[in-house]
Amino acid sequence: MDFVARIGRSAIRTARTLSDTFAFAFQIFVKIVDRDTYNSAVRIVLARQIYFTAVQILPMFLGIAAVFGAAVVGISAQYMKELGLSGFFGQMLMGFVVTEVSPFFTVLLIALRSSSAINTEIAVMKVSRELQTLEAFRIDPARYLFVPRIVNGMVSVTLLSSLFAIAVLLSGWLFSRIIFSMSLDEYATLLIASAKYGDIFAMLLKCLALGFFSVLIPIRFGLSATNELTSVPISVLNGMVWVFIAIVFIEVLSLIATSLLGKLV
Amino acid sequence: MGIVSPDIPLISNLDVLGNIALIREYHGNLPREAVEDQIRDLLRRFDLSAIAYRRIAVLSEKDRFVVMLLRAAMVMEAMILIDRPFRMLHDPRDYGFILTSLKKIDEWYKECHIFDYSWNEERYGGTDAPQDGT
Repeated sequence: MDFVARIGRSAIRTARTLSDTFAFAFQIFVKIVDRDTYNSAVRIVLARQIYFTAVQILPMFLGIAAVFGAAVVGISAQYMKELGLSGFFGQMLMGFVVTEVSPFFTVLLIALRSSSAINTEIAVMKVSRELQTLEAFRIDPARYLFVPRIVNGMVSVTLLSSLFAIAVLLSGWLFSRIIFSMSLDEYATLLIASAKYGDIFAMLLKCLALGFFSVLIPIRFGLSATNELTSVPISVLNGMVWVFIAIVFIEVLSLIATSLLGKLV
Repeated sequence: MGIVSPDIPLISNLDVLGNIALIREYHGNLPREAVEDQIRDLLRRFDLSAIAYRRIAVLSEKDRFVVMLLRAAMVMEAMILIDRPFRMLHDPRDYGFILTSLKKIDEWYKECHIFDYSWNEERYGGTDAPQDGT
């Protein structure tokens, strides 16, 4: 009986966490689309956040993208040639590496670097009563702190995914020359023929969703910190676990949606 | 109302300028450049121009008090409320410093009230009068 009760309690807790997160997401979304949110103070925070998340990371990100992209494309191209699937090289690049691997890899890097930092920052601000300071001066923490960080997440994941895709496609060009002896013209024609606007649109939507939740969840868990410093690591730990669950969940949802749309079309 | 209180700390991920400018930027939608000159002028009155880009953690307790006071003065037509100042300034002679600081920015606020425990009365000179900083 105890076992069943434990499962029930855990299910209720999970359901409550999910409903709270979606309610919070709705509140934030309303503020994101409200033009009045973007006053001078919020614009400064937004610019700074984009710099910290998408610009500071660039040298490391481009290096990793080039190495990882070369490895993925090189190995895949070699296997495709051996299996006689060279004709699907373009689809593999555009349909798998660009639309699936790029956003996933990008959001993992952003979650490791920025989501954990944002979770800690909000938890520390809660513990040190800095959120109380904002309220004392009638500054809405959701508008001033959360919206710029979440918009930054959406912008950064989308832009960095595109950069990742470009790095991978450049590696693809190199391997297409070495393995398939393709010229640049042939390679470009292959990519254009394999590109589907629907896939690119789905990739953009997925990037926006991944960026939104990979920052929203750490903020929500940062706010769950109490007045004790020891609550900071606990909130970061819980927040990061839920971020990774959300990333996998969005990936699975996007795969289901893409395959359903594919069947319909 | 502009509050100066140990319970309303400065924002640690902003520098001095950012902390003071925040209220005008947020409520007045003023760009940083428009507020910066005014803040620099105010910091100059306290001989604190050098701390404009410093983080809060490196400030002395007096500097921190001045930054909180300037932040409170940024509220439009400010009524400044100083809450238990001796929890922020620990030298018993600091009441003079509070009064001098208020005088340096007197055109920036409409009125100012200091709230403190009755057992601190002596620090204000032991009379009722100093309890109102105006």
